[in-house]
Amino acid sequence: MPSADGWEPRLHEAGAEALYLHVPFCARKCAYCDFASWATRRDDPLMGAYEAALEREVEEVASAGLLGACATAYVGGGTPSLLGERLLPRLVSAVASRAPVSELTCEANPESLTDALVEGVARSGCTRLSIGVQSLRDEELEALGRVHDARLARERVGAAVASGLDVSVDLMCATPLQTDESWDATLEGAIALGVGHVSVYPLAIEEGTALWRRYGDAPVAWNDPDVQARRMRRAEEALGRAGLARYEVASYARPGRCCEHNVAYWTGRPYLGLGVRASSMLAREGYERLRRVATSLPALPPGAARVRLTVAGGREEVAERPSLAERHWDLEVLDEGQAAAEDLMLGFRLSSGVGPALLGHARGALGAARVDAMAERMLARGLVRETAAGGLAPTESGWLLGNELFGACWELAEGTIEEIRC
Amino acid sequence: MTTYDTSHIRNFSIVAHIDHGKSTISDRILELTHTVEERDVSKQMLDTMDIEQERGITIKSNAVRVMYAADDGQEYQFNLIDTPGHVDFTYEVSRSLSACEGALLVVDATQGVEAQTVSNANLAMNSDLDIIPVINKIDLPSAHPEEVKEEIEEDLAIPADDAVLVSGKTGEGIHELLEAIVYLVRPPAGDAEAPLKALILDSYFDEYRGVVATVRVFDGVMRKGQQLRMMALGDTFLCDGVGCKRPLETPLAELGVGEVGYVVTGLKDPSLVKTGDTITLADRPCAEACPGYHEAKPMVFTGLFPIDNKQYENLRDALEKLRVNDPSLTWAPETSVALGFGFRVGFLGLLHMEVVKERLEREFDLDLIATSPSVDYHVFRTDGTMVDITSPQDLPDVTRIDHIEEPYLKAKVIVPPEFMGAVMQLVVEHRGETGNMVYLSEKSVEVHFDIPLAELILDFFDQLKSRTRGYASLDYEMGDYRTSDLVKLDIMLAGETVDALSFIVHRDKAYSMARGLCDKLKDIIPRQQFEVPIQGAIGNKIISRSTVRAVRKDVLAKCYGGDISRKRKLLEKQKEGKKRMKAIGSVEVPQEAFLAVLKVDDE
Repeated sequence: MPSADGWEPRLHEAGAEALYLHVPFCARKCAYCDFASWATRRDDPLMGAYEAALEREVEEVASAGLLGACATAYVGGGTPSLLGERLLPRLVSAVASRAPVSELTCEANPESLTDALVEGVARSGCTRLSIGVQSLRDEELEALGRVHDARLARERVGAAVASGLDVSVDLMCATPLQTDESWDATLEGAIALGVGHVSVYPLAIEEGTALWRRYGDAPVAWNDPDVQARRMRRAEEALGRAGLARYEVASYARPGRCCEHNVAYWTGRPYLGLGVRASSMLAREGYERLRRVATSLPALPPGAARVRLTVAGGREEVAERPSLAERHWDLEVLDEGQAAAEDLMLGFRLSSGVGPALLGHARGALGAARVDAMAERMLARGLVRETAAGGLAPTESGWLLGNELFGACWELAEGTIEEIRC
Repeated sequence: MTTYDTSHIRNFSIVAHIDHGKSTISDRILELTHTVEERDVSKQMLDTMDIEQERGITIKSNAVRVMYAADDGQEYQFNLIDTPGHVDFTYEVSRSLSACEGALLVVDATQGVEAQTVSNANLAMNSDLDIIPVINKIDLPSAHPEEVKEEIEEDLAIPADDAVLVSGKTGEGIHELLEAIVYLVRPPAGDAEAPLKALILDSYFDEYRGVVATVRVFDGVMRKGQQLRMMALGDTFLCDGVGCKRPLETPLAELGVGEVGYVVTGLKDPSLVKTGDTITLADRPCAEACPGYHEAKPMVFTGLFPIDNKQYENLRDALEKLRVNDPSLTWAPETSVALGFGFRVGFLGLLHMEVVKERLEREFDLDLIATSPSVDYHVFRTDGTMVDITSPQDLPDVTRIDHIEEPYLKAKVIVPPEFMGAVMQLVVEHRGETGNMVYLSEKSVEVHFDIPLAELILDFFDQLKSRTRGYASLDYEMGDYRTSDLVKLDIMLAGETVDALSFIVHRDKAYSMARGLCDKLKDIIPRQQFEVPIQGAIGNKIISRSTVRAVRKDVLAKCYGGDISRKRKLLEKQKEGKKRMKAIGSVEVPQEAFLAVLKVDDE
């Protein structure tokens, strides 16, 4: 089980510990989806050009010395499996051959996860599949605008598990037509398929999505916060009984099957994201290395401890100008205090919470009295509890009322974050 | 030696239903008389405050002078006087109109006579003005000016043969309008040789010159160097200059009979200069002041508290600064258990309160909570003494109260006869007593009634407008104090009485008010980590309750690498929202909760 106890300030880290590649292609846009992804025909030549561009960019960051300590990679989307049996294994190989990864995840949707694709990616270095299932009820899947039905989902997840790869499924609660009983059935179905990892997300009606166009900001019974809370609790019970422990707000795993890549996001480890709207988080030194290849990036102001970068521009731009020198970026520059507040906020997503190492660092960066006062307040409200290790961990209500807890952490940060477009 | 023979002066205002084109016509007049060049005509030249422009309402009176070379070869002086447009400023409106001899009644050629056309025409007729009907927007294909003329004659009983057809947009007819002003508005009367008699229409404070007052001279002449006196308030001052706005301030040698302009008083205390007061010569005063002056007394009192108590001093400074241009503002320190230190501030009405609060927040960067409005109650104690109470918190214990008197207004509404029933009902619902009714014409009735001020300030005016579809015009003056069965309604959040939510209400309405308020607060107060019971109580007796459910879940569950910035921004937004809330005990209460009483549907 990973824990934040191993947290250490990575302000001088020279590279990325995790690599993310974004594949912005889908067979169809789901009703709830606000990710950077667009419906794409299987024969669209853009996919080939885009994949080639990503390969080139991986090579560039490797040559800049950013991947030397890269332990995990994640090909996400969109629907990476839509790239197909020729392109996706190529992309996986490109990563596996240039970074010493021990975990390499590909996201997939049931309708495009063929046996040949499973075999192809496994052979190329993929260790883990994260499959978008969402529900095992046809009418619910249809209401979400999913391409597949429950039967196909079961069949494809079963095949993935049988291949020997680590398999995770994404499930969604508080969705249209879902009942407590149908949710239980979906959970039991997923458990029965033998997956080692489950992610559970309450559906959020995000602006710009089909659901938002339909429901807007008006309260919707099926998405009521009480319903969300109840379904999240039922998920914890059912999955816990089956031996999948909740290690993060939305993540459950059998022992040793946590997604190390996602844990990197929540424990302040530097990561690099390539492709449309992909995000990176780097410390100073890593940023300087990236600048060697991403030449439009500006020098950092003094006092910058951490940089978050998001790739600007669309799919065509990446495909047509396949080099980081051609990229534009949105930057956020954080100082040490802001970075520490962020780490606290993210740390409380994990069941292990915030360990003494991070707590000590945060007290130094943000002021001991302020951090202690925040901790007192959260303890008094029952949102966190003290751990045996001398840290703080979220309680059940701390997780359910995460915004209160995360908000209290983030409020410790002072000043505004500098934003740069370049 | 007057500057102009008064036969060349025309003083008028423009009245209209909203959006019928009052401001475009003003702008056109300024443009055609070359008062401003076309490119300088910013929309709504006359409304200068931000809030005025945004809300499309006029708060301060304003007077602009234009010179018009008429077809008869003579040059005329037009003073265009803009008046406030809301019931809170009824007094200011009446003062401004009394400075005019004429009014342009603007009616949209496509829409015809509308509610405010009627109420504004009534105000103008009450002030005995020469009214010129102006039919605007004749450039539009759907214009039907002939029918509109008939409506004006039938609905308003104003002859419309001489109605001027114009288009504020193209400028068509504006020349004819200017000619009509020359011929149809009478020149001001007055005696140039008599002692100075000038009416104050409005004033503002200038850091360097002291108070500058907008005035209309009725008799005599005003010039720099005169020793002048305020007739009502009695203070004297040396006239430091006179002039007019064109629309920028233009100094003049003097202001003669019938003229409108400004006078620089040099007075450093704005409270010495009151709208409606008369300025005369210190050593040779006029026999009678202009009629109708009374001190603009605050009618409504609310508590204003900074959300962040550290802003208390800033709030005091800001109020001081605002009073300079708004002498009607009054305040006294107030302390609340729930809200800390603040001020009890007196206003002319609720709109005045909203405007002041908005200006304080915007111009002085304050976050404020306003509490339920109250009037000035006379509380007679069992020991025979009487106290003025403007805040429910100051109400003595019930056992020590003999009786309470509340202020009444003498009000009148002018309305088309078909709405008479609706008005009577509204008056009765608001504890009013109707008096006589006078038919002014076939199309309008004047209804007199007495009504508690407390009822009028809440929602009476809005309801009156909505139930008469806007046709009613309301006018009122302070009446007497009368004994009423009043009680203090307390509101408890999570079992604790929140003093800032208390208000005084008639016993007969206490139950429905308490119920309405508990329901409203339930909607306004966001769900919190714990259930929050809301209770309404009179004394120790709970008379209503509602509950804010506990929030069960608010987490941003999904959090990928790229989501972190987004989540952080959502949390920032949440933080901003919290800044606008007041923590009362463990309950986060939004600003608007303290004014919820204004939003209760009183059924």
